[in-house]
Amino acid sequence: MAYLQARRDFLKLATTGATATVLIPGSLGALGEVALRGEDKFVRSICEMCSSRCPMEARVINGKTVLLQGNAFAKEMGTSLCAKGVAGSSQLYDSQRLVSPLIRVGKRGENKWREASWEEALNLVSTKLSALKERYGARSVIFSSKTGEHYDLLRSFASAFGSPNVFSHWSSCPIAIESAFTQTFGEKLHRDFENANYILNFGHNLFEGLDIPLTKAMAHFCANPSKKLVVLDPRFSIIAAKADEWHPIKPGSDLAFVLALLHVWIRDGKFDHTFVEQYTIGFDNLVDAVKETTPQWQQTLSGIDANMVERIASELYAAAPRCIIDWGHKATTTQAEYQRSRAILIANILMGNVEKEGGIYFTKSAKRVNALAKESIVPELNNPYPRPQINEPRIDGAGEEGAYRFVSKQHGVLTAIPEAILSQKPYEIKGWFLTRHNPLITVADPQKMKEAMEQLEFIVVNDIYLSDTAMMADVILPECTYLERDEGISTLTCKVPTYAMRNRIVAPLHGNKSAIEIMRDLAERMGFGSHYAWKNSSELRAFQAKGNAELLQTLLLRGVASFDVPYFCALEPSLVERFCERYPKSRAWVDAQGCFGHLLEHLKTPSGKIEIYCEEIEKVFKGYGVPRSVDMDVTQGFPYVLTSGKSAVHTNGHTQNVPYLAMLLSSNPIWMHPSTAKAHGLKMGDTFYLQNAIAKEKATVFITEGIRPDTLFAYMGFGHDAPSLKRTHGKGTNPSTFLSLESAPLCGAMITNVGVNIIKA
Amino acid sequence: MEKQYRLLYDENLCIGCQACSVACRVENSVPDEVYRLQVHLHTKGEFPNLGMNYERLSCVMCENPPCVSVCPTNASFQSKDGLVHIDERSCITCKYCILACPYHARFINPLKNVVEKCNFCYETRVSKELSPACVSICPTDALSFGDMRQKHSLVHQKSHKEVLVFPKAHLGTKPKVAFIPNRKGMKS
Repeated sequence: MAYLQARRDFLKLATTGATATVLIPGSLGALGEVALRGEDKFVRSICEMCSSRCPMEARVINGKTVLLQGNAFAKEMGTSLCAKGVAGSSQLYDSQRLVSPLIRVGKRGENKWREASWEEALNLVSTKLSALKERYGARSVIFSSKTGEHYDLLRSFASAFGSPNVFSHWSSCPIAIESAFTQTFGEKLHRDFENANYILNFGHNLFEGLDIPLTKAMAHFCANPSKKLVVLDPRFSIIAAKADEWHPIKPGSDLAFVLALLHVWIRDGKFDHTFVEQYTIGFDNLVDAVKETTPQWQQTLSGIDANMVERIASELYAAAPRCIIDWGHKATTTQAEYQRSRAILIANILMGNVEKEGGIYFTKSAKRVNALAKESIVPELNNPYPRPQINEPRIDGAGEEGAYRFVSKQHGVLTAIPEAILSQKPYEIKGWFLTRHNPLITVADPQKMKEAMEQLEFIVVNDIYLSDTAMMADVILPECTYLERDEGISTLTCKVPTYAMRNRIVAPLHGNKSAIEIMRDLAERMGFGSHYAWKNSSELRAFQAKGNAELLQTLLLRGVASFDVPYFCALEPSLVERFCERYPKSRAWVDAQGCFGHLLEHLKTPSGKIEIYCEEIEKVFKGYGVPRSVDMDVTQGFPYVLTSGKSAVHTNGHTQNVPYLAMLLSSNPIWMHPSTAKAHGLKMGDTFYLQNAIAKEKATVFITEGIRPDTLFAYMGFGHDAPSLKRTHGKGTNPSTFLSLESAPLCGAMITNVGVNIIKA
Repeated sequence: MEKQYRLLYDENLCIGCQACSVACRVENSVPDEVYRLQVHLHTKGEFPNLGMNYERLSCVMCENPPCVSVCPTNASFQSKDGLVHIDERSCITCKYCILACPYHARFINPLKNVVEKCNFCYETRVSKELSPACVSICPTDALSFGDMRQKHSLVHQKSHKEVLVFPKAHLGTKPKVAFIPNRKGMKS
């Protein structure tokens, strides 16, 4: 009751503020003060302990965060939050956080610093960047950030500065699947786990890489005895443990399994003929490509029995279209990554599960829903991060002629950076601006990356800790944590249009600044302040919302805004009918089958249809236009494959030093099967060396039945070199050190499965 | 009894993510290195026939609590709604209760030098009609909590639908924490 009461009081305050019908830029801050006063207050915001960006809520008493939990206004969240999210307060109050700008005094990487005022630090950054621009051109500075609002901001800043060289973390994470989606559908689709009956999963481990709405849906799916989950993974992960069947597939061979699946369906005519005919192009090319990819053929590659493929193929077909072949969110494994991702998408297409309940669906964005309803039912937003077109070639050639022509210019190929810096080709690179990005832990071959960084004239890092990469900087700008900053409106839309907003929970504890404040200040100092239509986060929000006070108010108080738009699948007549009842003008779109079929016929692909065969790709990358067997070897002649992945309590390279999380998992001993350990004379906890052509690193062994004898596994993000990260410094092994800078063809994905040898210490 | 509280732990929904454990630490300011609540995962079987067991360790709020009867100062006591509490002011840290507890649920708070354990977040949440922090936070709804006398509550309905296991039931302690055992994988 008390909770409900508090919430009611809170909402009452909201109504008081609602008299402000016309919102002028700058007035939002005052509105916030009214709404957020009170002793025991609830502030709704967005989590940032990983990239899932779950809506959350904080209870604050006397200015101190008490407990972070899920934001129940976001229906799929309830009050749920993961360990990382809940531990956000321990990061906020961590004594090891950076609180003052630092300027390098020793040699680069020597970790000698002096404290500086913000004025001095920002002045130095703007002077140095301007000098580099003057001397070598704006393109000589590269910019990188993890994806999210930081990245949108940085990209906008970089283009105002004049550099084409912006990188997100995509190429070290989801780039293969993103690229496969672009070329198949023209955009990304989502999975309707809630209504599916059968899921085939290739190691997409939502129980260790959590995204609360998806994780929750998957957990309920697994616990429901009438549904079936089949997991293929070399490791007995948590999701494998929750599956009805776990098949320890050889690392890197998913593609072989999917091609065999496609072979069986096409051989037996078991696929959705009508769907394929109506909405896709290039099926004949697929028939040809999978002629020889029999279950028997895949058995030698994947280690999965041919009969098993036959059985699973038949079960999947029987369950279609309420059936999903899950593509994961970070699927990078092999040279075959692009083909693997495309094959998975095409297997879904053959099942006819697109825009069906329990299948896969297009984002129901404000724009799409408004167009369909032929009226404005959901407010659309302004883009607060303008980007002038930069007509300079990128250092990695992404989106231009050459090997990376199909890689998004927006995201680039991180593994191409060291070579470009060291060779100064295609032109000189002199500076790097990194915001909340730690490539020395998360990107392949950090040894080489460090070598390249040493060549640069100026590096500026924005972070909350003195990370491994921050150690290489000339200036470190200490950002406030996500609990201390206001940001713009972000889109959470999947099944229905939804917006969310990051609201500051507490005032910055140490005068730290947000990236928005930092970038805006720098832009002003460097003479392109007019690039932005806003001066601070309040103005940014008001500009973005086009002055829509009601929307802003909702986002301020509830943290999320949805608009009571009924969920629909374009190919489910009953759901289409429900949508039309609500928005009668949309009937104009309904086709003879009672569906919104046109949504699938005017896609952003060259043909406008779903492309099973991509002619554009085939022209440049022969054999890649349609899923085909390509190089699946991940051993490179070594006896073992080292794989890596997430744990439920850490995010990539950036949470290992967070107090509560360090307590739960402080190192990453290497998973090894007992027979492998025995063959090398290793006992639990022994130290040994992992070695390949690139690195030789010390590691500790964790012996478990839960892994193939030819495979090793490490939780990623350990092996930090930075002494300032006191809780994690020197603990565990960084699996990135064994990875080569050679990326997967076509999509530019970093290859994270790698051959290694075990050497006794 | 004024209330018949029950906390249900569904092993089929638990993913061992430790969100409950961190929420407990935050809500109750549990000092580093000690725990009111832990969830352990154990892999069972031989490759490739494996299963995973989930074990939740905390105070189970016995109806017949051995910790209360051994306490020489009545610091351990049972409230009228059946919950077992510790009065910090009376605790002399004699550790009898720690020895008596068959669930290894009690520990010494090194900062206060008194015995502590899970109290269902009674003061900060349950007494205010809120669920314990672990229940509220759980990403997969593996935990449910409530008063068994309320027939429409999830905890009541789930209790009547599922087969429940009460930890160490043979001891006759009658815990208020019940388990829905894991149905997947190799059994131990």
